[in-house]
Amino acid sequence: MTRWFSLLAVWIPLAAQSPTSSSVARGDRLFAQGCAVGYCHGAAGAAARSPRLRGRAFERSYLAKVIRDGIPNTAMPAWRDRLTDADINALVDYIATLANAPVEATASPAESLPANDSPQTMPAEHARGRELFFDLTRESRCSVCHRLDGIGVPVGPDITNVRALLEPDAHKVLRFGRPRGLRTLTLKEGGQVQGVVTERTSAHIRIYDLSTLPPVLRTIPVSSVSAQTRQSAWRHSTPARAYSQDELQAVWDFVRWFAAKPKQ
Amino acid sequence: MIRAAVLILLALPASFAQQGATAEDWPHYGGQVSAWRYSSLDQINGANVRRLTAAWAFQTGETEGGLQATPIVVDGVMYLSTSRNRVFAIDAASGRQLWTYQFPLPKGFTIFYGPWNRGVAVSGGRVFLGTLDNHLVALDAKTGKEIWRVNIEDAGQCGCNITAAPLVVKGKVIAGVTGGDSAHRGYINAFDARTGKHLWRFWTIPGPGENGHETWAGDSWKYGGGAAWMTGSFDEELNLTYWSVGNPAADFWGGNRKGDNLYTDSVVALDIDTGKLKWFHQQIPHDVWDWDTAYENVLIDREVDGRMRKLLVNVNKGGYTFIVDRATGEFIAAWPLVKNLNWIAGVGQKGELLGRNEPVAGKSKIICPSIGGGRSWNQAAWSPRTSMFYSTGIEWCQDVTAAPELPKPGQVYFGGTFKLTLKPLQGEPGGHLGAYDPVTGKRAWLYESKYPLLASVLATKGDLVFTGDPEGNFFALDARSGKKLWSFNTGSGHRGGPITYAVNGKQFVATPSGWGSALAGLLTQIWPEAEEFRSGSAVFVFALPEPVP
Repeated sequence: MTRWFSLLAVWIPLAAQSPTSSSVARGDRLFAQGCAVGYCHGAAGAAARSPRLRGRAFERSYLAKVIRDGIPNTAMPAWRDRLTDADINALVDYIATLANAPVEATASPAESLPANDSPQTMPAEHARGRELFFDLTRESRCSVCHRLDGIGVPVGPDITNVRALLEPDAHKVLRFGRPRGLRTLTLKEGGQVQGVVTERTSAHIRIYDLSTLPPVLRTIPVSSVSAQTRQSAWRHSTPARAYSQDELQAVWDFVRWFAAKPKQ
Repeated sequence: MIRAAVLILLALPASFAQQGATAEDWPHYGGQVSAWRYSSLDQINGANVRRLTAAWAFQTGETEGGLQATPIVVDGVMYLSTSRNRVFAIDAASGRQLWTYQFPLPKGFTIFYGPWNRGVAVSGGRVFLGTLDNHLVALDAKTGKEIWRVNIEDAGQCGCNITAAPLVVKGKVIAGVTGGDSAHRGYINAFDARTGKHLWRFWTIPGPGENGHETWAGDSWKYGGGAAWMTGSFDEELNLTYWSVGNPAADFWGGNRKGDNLYTDSVVALDIDTGKLKWFHQQIPHDVWDWDTAYENVLIDREVDGRMRKLLVNVNKGGYTFIVDRATGEFIAAWPLVKNLNWIAGVGQKGELLGRNEPVAGKSKIICPSIGGGRSWNQAAWSPRTSMFYSTGIEWCQDVTAAPELPKPGQVYFGGTFKLTLKPLQGEPGGHLGAYDPVTGKRAWLYESKYPLLASVLATKGDLVFTGDPEGNFFALDARSGKKLWSFNTGSGHRGGPITYAVNGKQFVATPSGWGSALAGLLTQIWPEAEEFRSGSAVFVFALPEPVP
C-alpha cells in the first residue's frame, strides 16, 4: 500500500511536466558528457561505480536538487556552477525517460558531442591571473598557503572574501603581510620549526612548517619544545618573488576582482 | 643446522631470490619492494591446507566501497586501511584492536574515484597513509597519533587524490596520485619520512624544454592525465624505483593530444635519491583505450636466452604483459593474458604495437577487453619456487564511442562513453587465474571463474596460491596443478590483497573481505545479479588448528 502510494507520488509530477523532445535530447547529450562518463553512472544510466538510473523512478525535485547541490561526502558533485537551470531541467527530463527503460538495454550510440557548453564565468582578462594563482609548476604558488573559491591550503587567510584587498594601499600585503600565529618553536633535541600555529593543546602544538613547500602540518609534543617565540624570519615578500612583476600584477588584479565579485 | 641453512642460501644463483620473499612480516604492499607477493613460510602447505580454520575476524564497519587494501604486518601488528581514510592497528595473533585513526575529510567534500584506500606503508615506527583529499599523513605506529601531514595539491584543483599505498624506502615516502581521467598533469612525489619535507617531484608529463614534451600537441600536456595510481617497486642494488604511469586524458579521444604522449602508459625508472628519470619504456604510444600502465612492477631475476637478466614484469590493463630489462628499460617480450583482445593485432619484436584498432568519434565500436581491463589492478604473484607468474585475467568486451571534448581543469575528461556487451568475441564473459612462464607466457594451468577475479594473488613456499572471488569464496589452489585444495566463504566478495605472516612461530593467512569498487559497479552491466552482491569490510585470518603438527 505504502509502496503503491509512493509510486503514485512519483508518477504525478513526472506526468505533469511533459518534457519536450528537444529538452530530452539536450539532457541526453549532457548526460553522456557529464554523467555517463568514466566510471560514474554508465552509458544511459546503466550503472558503474555510481548507482544505476535506468529502470528507477525518482522525484523531479529530488533529481534537480541532487544535480544542483551534489551529495556531500560522496562522489556526486554539485553541478550548480557548471550547468544552467535549463541544463538541469533537461537532465531531469532525460533521466525521467530512463525510469521505464529495461535495465539491460544497450544505449544508443552517443552522437558527436560539442566540445564544451558549460557556462564560462571567468572574464578573459583574469584567466591568466587565476592560472598563476594556482600554478602547480611553481613551488611558491599562492594556493600553497591560501584558499580562494574553495581551493588551496588554509595556512594563511582564505582570500575569497577579503574586502581589505580593495583598500588603496592593500598591495603592501605582498611585501609586509605576515599571517597570524607566526611562531618559532625551539626543539629540545635541537633545531627550530618556523611557521604558523593552527592548534594548541596541553599535549601538542600543530604548526605549518614554512621551511619547505608545500608546507607540512607538523604535530609537535609540547614536552619536546624548549621555547616558543613570536619571532620568525618568514616574510611574504619571499614567496611573492616566485612571480615576475608583471605576473604578480595579473594575480593581484584577479584576486581583487574576485574579492569584489558578488558571491552566490 | 643454522650453518647448513646459510650454505644453502649462498648456493642459490641469486641472493635476490631471498630478498623478494616475505617471512614473518608482510612489510610492504607487494610483500617486499620487489612486489612478488610470495612468502617463504611453508607451515601451511599442500599437505595440510585442508585443515585450515578461521583464527579470528576483524570487522572495520567502513563498508562503503568494500575493503580493497592489502594489510601490512610488522612485528606482530597488522596495519589495515579502509574506505574514508581510516587506519586500524590490530594484534596480528589475536585480532584485538590496538588503535584506530581517521583522517577527517573537509566538510562537503566531493569524493572522486571512490572512497576507498588500498593500503598503508610502515617503516621506522611510522605508518603512512594517502588520503582522499590528496594529503600524505604520518602516524605513530605505536599510538596512531598523527605526526605530520602534507597536502600535495588541493584535490579540488587537480581532480586527483591518493588511494594507493605509498612506497617507503631509504627514509623516503613516495606516492603517486589518481587523476588519469581528469584534466590534470600527473606526478610522483617523495617526502622525508621523518619530517614530511618535500624531497622531489617527477612530472609524469614533461614540461616545456624537457625531453618528451614534444610528444604532446599544443597545451594538451597540461591536462594529459598520466596518473601513477598504484604502488611502485624498488631495486636496492640499482637504486631505482619503478612506477607505472596510467592513461592519457581524455581517455577515448586523442584528437587534441596528437603525439606519443610520454610518459603515459609507460614504466618509468627513477633514481630514488633525486627522482631523476633513468629510463622509461612506453607500452602504448598515444593510448585511446584507457589502457593504464598503472599496475605493479614485479622485479625478478631470470635467465633469458642463456643469460641472467634483471627483469621487470608489468601487466597492462589492455591484457598484455610486458617484460623489460630493469637496468636499462630494453624491451624483452610481451604476451597476452586473455583471449578477448582486439585493440591490437599483436606486439612486434621491438615492442611496437601492430594493427591498432582505435575507437571512432561518434560511432560505436566493439573493443576487447572492456575498460575494466584484461586484468584489473589486483596484483599477480611470482613464485621463485615454481618459476610461475600467477595472474588473474578477464574475458569481456564493450561498445565504445569516442567523443571530442575540451578540458576543464581538475574535472572529468573522458572523451567518450562505453557500455559492456553481453557477448564477447569468444566464449562467455568471465574471469580466470592462470600460472604462466613470466617471459614466454606459456601457461601451465588455468582456473576459471564465473565472475572476474578482482582480488590480488598470494603465492607461498608451501606451494599454495590464494585468492578470492566476488561471491565471497576465499580459496587455495595447488601452485603446480591449479587444483582447488581449500575454500571458505567469508560472506562478502574479495577485492583486496591476501597475505601470510607468522607470530611466535605460527603461520597465519589473512584476507580482506568486502565487495565494492568501480569494477564491482561495472560488473552489473553484464551480470545484473551482481547488484545484489553484499558489501562488507572485514579481515578474515586463518591458521592450522592447535597443536601445530
